Amino acid sequence: MASELRVNTLKDAAGNNSIATSFVASGSAKAWVNINMATGANVDSFNIASITDDGSGTFDATYTTAQATANYVICTAGDDNTGGNSDLVTIIGAPTNQAQLGTWRSAAGRVDTTKACASIHGDLA
Amino acid sequence: MASQLKVDTITGVTTAGSISVTGEGNSTTTNLQQGLVKMWMQIDQSSFGVLDSLNVSSASDDGTGLFTVTRSNNMNNSNYGVATAVMSDRVGILGSNGNTYTTSQNNFTNNDSRDASYHDPSRNGIILTGDLA
Repeated sequence: MASELRVNTLKDAAGNNSIATSFVASGSAKAWVNINMATGANVDSFNIASITDDGSGTFDATYTTAQATANYVICTAGDDNTGGNSDLVTIIGAPTNQAQLGTWRSAAGRVDTTKACASIHGDLA
Repeated sequence: MASQLKVDTITGVTTAGSISVTGEGNSTTTNLQQGLVKMWMQIDQSSFGVLDSLNVSSASDDGTGLFTVTRSNNMNNSNYGVATAVMSDRVGILGSNGNTYTTSQNNFTNNDSRDASYHDPSRNGIILTGDLA
């Protein structure tokens, strides 16, 4: 049977390792995504409704459920490509409804990397 | 009324691996398991050591700018996401090397975006999101 539990604090059964449920809600990633920009594929994600290709090396990841404000955090990583020409994933914009990201390759400019990852942390609407 | 729950394991009723948590704005819900970071670590490449971590069994130094991380509990597939940050006086990039991006391990590379040379910064943060096995 589905149920709803209302509680302020979680502890283990021994009464240790206390954590407020506010840390569970605020400390969880509110979205994450792994994109292959070369094929345009959303390889895997959470709370991502769609991916839009904005041209070489730029894309938008639109949230299913928006963030409460534009003050949230985006952490990123790109592919190393083995040969030292790492792909840096940067933040172009961060409105409440989507992460606008770009990819920059060492000494080569914008590229469609095969692995662009982002993790979004903050408050949901 | 304030309340306190003492428990070692939380499991969903309808689906064991799916629990909804009300969002901060009180109007939407988010999935607890999907939102949890499945691995995090702070690693010093200079003296090479894992400073603190979750779900990391080992890290190996693969040469200047290069290291491999092995997890305690594997991911369900290799489609997970990785996010990183580097503390360095140069413009470091911590890439997720495509050679090893498996359910159990990742290669990482730290190099300079200006000339692609490899470096060993003293603080590198890594978080991993996705599905646990």
